[in-house]
Amino acid sequence: MAEETASTSKIQITPFTVVSGIILVIGVVLTVLRFTGGLAAVTNLSDNNPWGIWIGFDLLVGVALAAGGYVTSAAVYIFGLKKYHSAVRPAILTGFLGYALVVLALHYDVGRPWRLPYPFLVQQGTTSLLFEVGACVALYLTVLFIEFSPVAMEWLGLKRARNLVVRLTLLLTIFGVVLSTLHQSSLGALYLIAPSKVHPLWYSSYLPVYFFVSSIIAGLSMVIFESSLSYRYFKDKMDPEHLAEKDSVALGFGKAAAFVLAGYFIIKVIGIAADNNWDYLSTGYGAWYLVELLGFVALPCFLYAVGVRDKNLALIKWTSALTVLGIVVNRFNVSMIAFNYHLPASERYFPSWMEIGISIFIVTIGVVVFRFIVTRMPILYEHPGYKGAH
Amino acid sequence: MAAIAFLAAAILSFGVPGVQGVQQELDSMEVMRADLVMIDTMKTFGRLERPPVVFLHDKHTEALLQQKQDCNACHPADEKGRQSHKFKRIEDSDPKAVMDLYHEGCITCHTETATAGRKSGPVTCGACHLKKPTVISDSQPMGMDKSLHYRHTKTLENKCEKCHHVYNEQKKTLEYLKGQEGSCRYCHGETKVENRIAAQQAFHQACIGCHQQRLAEKKVSGPNECSRCHSLEDQKLIEVVKDVPRMEVNQPNVVFVKRLQENEPPPTPEENTLMQQVPFDHKAHEEFNNTCRVCHHANLKACVSCHTLKGDEKGGRVQLEQSMHQSNAGQSCIGCHNNQKVQPECAGCHENIYQKLSGDTNASACLACHMEPMPVTDGSTQQPAELAALMLESRKKPPTPYPADKIPEIVDIGVLTNQFQKARMPHRKIVQALEKKIQGNQLAVAYHGDSGALCQGCHHNSVIAEKPPKCGSCHGQPFVERQPVRPGLIAAYHQQCIGCHTRMGIEKPAATDCTACHEKK
Amino acid sequence: MSISRRKFLGWLGSAGLGATLGKNADAASNKHFTGYPDISGVLFDNTLCIGCRKCEEGCNKVNELPAPDKAFDDLSVMEAPRRTRAGEFTVVNRYSGVPDAGGPVYRKIQCNHCLEPACASACFVSAFTKTPTGAVTYDESVCVGCRYCMIACPFEIPAYEYDKALTPRVTKCTLCHPRIIKGLLPGCVEICPTEALTFGKRKDLIRLARERIQQHPGRYVDHVYGETEMGGTSWLYLSGTPFQKIGMREDLGNLPAPLLTKGALSAVPIISGMWPVLLTGIYAISKRKEKIAETEKAQAINAAREQAEADAKAKLDAALKQAQKDKEKEIELQVKRALEEAAKAQSEAAAKPETKEESDG
Repeated sequence: MAEETASTSKIQITPFTVVSGIILVIGVVLTVLRFTGGLAAVTNLSDNNPWGIWIGFDLLVGVALAAGGYVTSAAVYIFGLKKYHSAVRPAILTGFLGYALVVLALHYDVGRPWRLPYPFLVQQGTTSLLFEVGACVALYLTVLFIEFSPVAMEWLGLKRARNLVVRLTLLLTIFGVVLSTLHQSSLGALYLIAPSKVHPLWYSSYLPVYFFVSSIIAGLSMVIFESSLSYRYFKDKMDPEHLAEKDSVALGFGKAAAFVLAGYFIIKVIGIAADNNWDYLSTGYGAWYLVELLGFVALPCFLYAVGVRDKNLALIKWTSALTVLGIVVNRFNVSMIAFNYHLPASERYFPSWMEIGISIFIVTIGVVVFRFIVTRMPILYEHPGYKGAH
Repeated sequence: MAAIAFLAAAILSFGVPGVQGVQQELDSMEVMRADLVMIDTMKTFGRLERPPVVFLHDKHTEALLQQKQDCNACHPADEKGRQSHKFKRIEDSDPKAVMDLYHEGCITCHTETATAGRKSGPVTCGACHLKKPTVISDSQPMGMDKSLHYRHTKTLENKCEKCHHVYNEQKKTLEYLKGQEGSCRYCHGETKVENRIAAQQAFHQACIGCHQQRLAEKKVSGPNECSRCHSLEDQKLIEVVKDVPRMEVNQPNVVFVKRLQENEPPPTPEENTLMQQVPFDHKAHEEFNNTCRVCHHANLKACVSCHTLKGDEKGGRVQLEQSMHQSNAGQSCIGCHNNQKVQPECAGCHENIYQKLSGDTNASACLACHMEPMPVTDGSTQQPAELAALMLESRKKPPTPYPADKIPEIVDIGVLTNQFQKARMPHRKIVQALEKKIQGNQLAVAYHGDSGALCQGCHHNSVIAEKPPKCGSCHGQPFVERQPVRPGLIAAYHQQCIGCHTRMGIEKPAATDCTACHEKK
Repeated sequence: MSISRRKFLGWLGSAGLGATLGKNADAASNKHFTGYPDISGVLFDNTLCIGCRKCEEGCNKVNELPAPDKAFDDLSVMEAPRRTRAGEFTVVNRYSGVPDAGGPVYRKIQCNHCLEPACASACFVSAFTKTPTGAVTYDESVCVGCRYCMIACPFEIPAYEYDKALTPRVTKCTLCHPRIIKGLLPGCVEICPTEALTFGKRKDLIRLARERIQQHPGRYVDHVYGETEMGGTSWLYLSGTPFQKIGMREDLGNLPAPLLTKGALSAVPIISGMWPVLLTGIYAISKRKEKIAETEKAQAINAAREQAEADAKAKLDAALKQAQKDKEKEIELQVKRALEEAAKAQSEAAAKPETKEESDG
């Protein structure tokens, strides 16, 4: 599926465009159904299960996997690790698209999406962690937009504006890390209010910490994963600096991920010990928890370490895919599997195909837009007019 | 691609763990057995290090029986040949020795049985010391009642000495004294006191010991398995003899309830502050109860021997008045009578939660028992015992309800007719049905055989009269702050009628069948 | 990139200010909220309930809810346990086969109007309010429909109008707030024929409940459900059978829901304050390290160059000296040779004087 230059406005007929086109069309149909028939027409949500995969996947997983933005820009601009510089723009783009799509997904899930600005403009519920999430996500989306804007400005030739905005980089990065810490942890803290509904192995007063630390892991792994995909499909867009740095990005981020995964493993075990939940490990849910902890946390930690030591880039790439999967599993577990564990099987939730369809639709929009931007704007290469001007 | 892999993981992660609710898992695993013994012997030595062991006794006796072994396999006999009810020991010695006894005794046997290829028990620590046992005991207490006692005396040819004994303080031995037979529990309490073994050990030693012996001699005998005595189902299978002949132990027929001890002189007329004496039909009360222990809970003597007027150490400082009148003690007169009120025939009126029957607190209630004395001319304050029978005879008059024409036949309740029409209550029919129910019951007749008292069941909290007040005289608006307990008029009607029907087990009219009592508007 | 110090500090200040916007959270304190005084409540006594469902009918009428599929006097709906739904603020469930109950037992389910409601704490537009009357009311004019309240409620009460596309609402019992402020009774309480529901001040109801338990100890479980559960609720329950057997959770604890998220919320301002300082510090340190590395690098280069120059100069001097020496030697050699040749030539010329009269000299 090699891509040719997409500077022509004609849409080429390739397997990618056909498949994504079909998905987009189905998505539009489902959107119409959603907004004419209500949530009941499209989802399997119920009074016992008010949050389904649009929250569990689109919101929780989406925000976690878009964390590469703040992690990469923090590494480069705050910690001064200049050799990962080429990874910043792709990460910011992923972050920006990710958060934008999260907001789009929220429009589907929430009952009255035109009221989404209400918590900021009409009446605040400051005792709510969802307020915290909303405020920080909105602000962070703005930050990401501003951080991304130089790319568009370079593409559009707005030199003065671009130079002005680029001087805000450090400030925006710091602001971005603060906001990301707050909203990544608050997403986990959302479930603190329902201890009677979340299985003891996943419920912990450390939930916010777990979500924040795992978002770092998610961000690091997504950057590695995406860079390997970008290399495969957009190699011809990459400039020499990019090509030269990409291996060191994989190695460096892989090493960091190994460390953070080890720390995450330790604090999860501490969490079980603190609540004395060892006995639950011998139950059915306990077995699944061990699969998550050992197969998706301990194993990738080990594999990353081996991959970095042996400079085995293929292993690092596969491990990043495994880790990303692990983040998905963890968010699903907290929001849909460990949640309502006490209800009988007949009252548990499983998404409808239309809900899954909308989620795929949203992801496809992301992929299509990503492709559009990467093939036209200076993401994987430096714009010749601004070379070395970072 | 990766997206497919995500989806696959997503779908898989939904189905994997037991999506069954946790509560369901627990409920489905509980098994109830009557032969469950929780081995927590080490408790006597301090805090338990491990959870107590769930031990199923019948399972083991069955298994041992199949191997042609009996109780001696685990329960040694003492020097007097009495079987110990403890496992492989007579007495508890020191903690380690006892623990080793259990471990060696149990685990060795289990291992040997398993080696021999038979079904065996666990051998690992956690398999016996279960943190969350799945078996729960539903063992019911067992006791002798008149019928069972009669079956024993018949089989043993009235040889009371086979079971009954007393302890001779001087000779320090057990001996049989005729006329001193009583319940085992009179001496054997919950725990062992010096030489006197605890009731549980005494029963098992005496009962099971005798049963074992007779079974060995192939004679007619009782069971020796836990569940045959202690399981609810098996208890129902125990044969009940219908008309048990009276046990003759020199008890009185009709007597005045004693207020003074043996050696106490009766008070003179001037200093007499005692209540009027109560004639008591002891013989009739023997028939009302299954065992003497309902009243004679500590010995077969009169209550006043321990529960004196002023209260005594012997009687736990419970005074005579309390021993007769304590309403929540089953051994007292009033307490037992209160328990009768729970029966369906009585519960309709007596179990109404807002009931305060006027009889409870005024003088006429006392007179039901403390009858007006028959006149005596010798100036004494004690009535001769013969008078008791005469007084009781005089009480045995038939009930005297109001004549039918004085009882309104239909009462129209039409004070609140919002959604429904007036209720036509078959008043006379109900009253006469209630009268019929009390006719056969001496207790009921004694208390409310006369006219007017029965009306108090519904027309409560008022004076007994031929025309008792309407409900609406006191019940009006609901939720009045100064009268938080009194329901409003609608609820008063419904609670009274529906409540009574429910308590008396009357299924028609159903509580939720509104039109059965009042037509819709 | 280079920015002036003044500019940088200015941006830092505005970043800090921006970080504090909209993130107010109550600071942790020792204050203990015991509820509004004189709040009302309802006591439900299930020993008086006959399962007639009149309360559902009353609620439906008073709130002008849509008519149900099966009429309210159809008691067969109780064969399966139900929960509250959109348009059904309250339901009555029947529990048969409860041991020692002497018949079926009924329970009325509706919002418990907690003293510190989880829904109110969870709502990010403050759509729920615990009013001074005790009722927890819902304001549909601000509700965004996020359904977090449904996640938060430990009693699983709020329901949602999923089938409405444009105006879906959260629905739950309102304790008939508009009626009780006018002095009327809630719809269910008013219609109950046996007064299984008692309306009054919560503290009076607790006293009443305790009184009933004391007077009839064999009749009730010795516990008033709702007195302390989840920090206390305005709806109280008396039961003749254990609460767990009639579907009421006894493992919810006594902690009010807002306390569960207090810790996480209190971290927000401290992170907003500390993180910028920390990150700027790291940036400063890393920048400093960079600078030091650069200076060291420059110094090393300089030193290396100087060394190289000095070496070169020394080499040159040595070479020049050598060249000079060589040159001198060469000159000496040439002079010697010239002298020798001259001497030789002279000696040859002296040996042959007649051959050549004419000398060129």
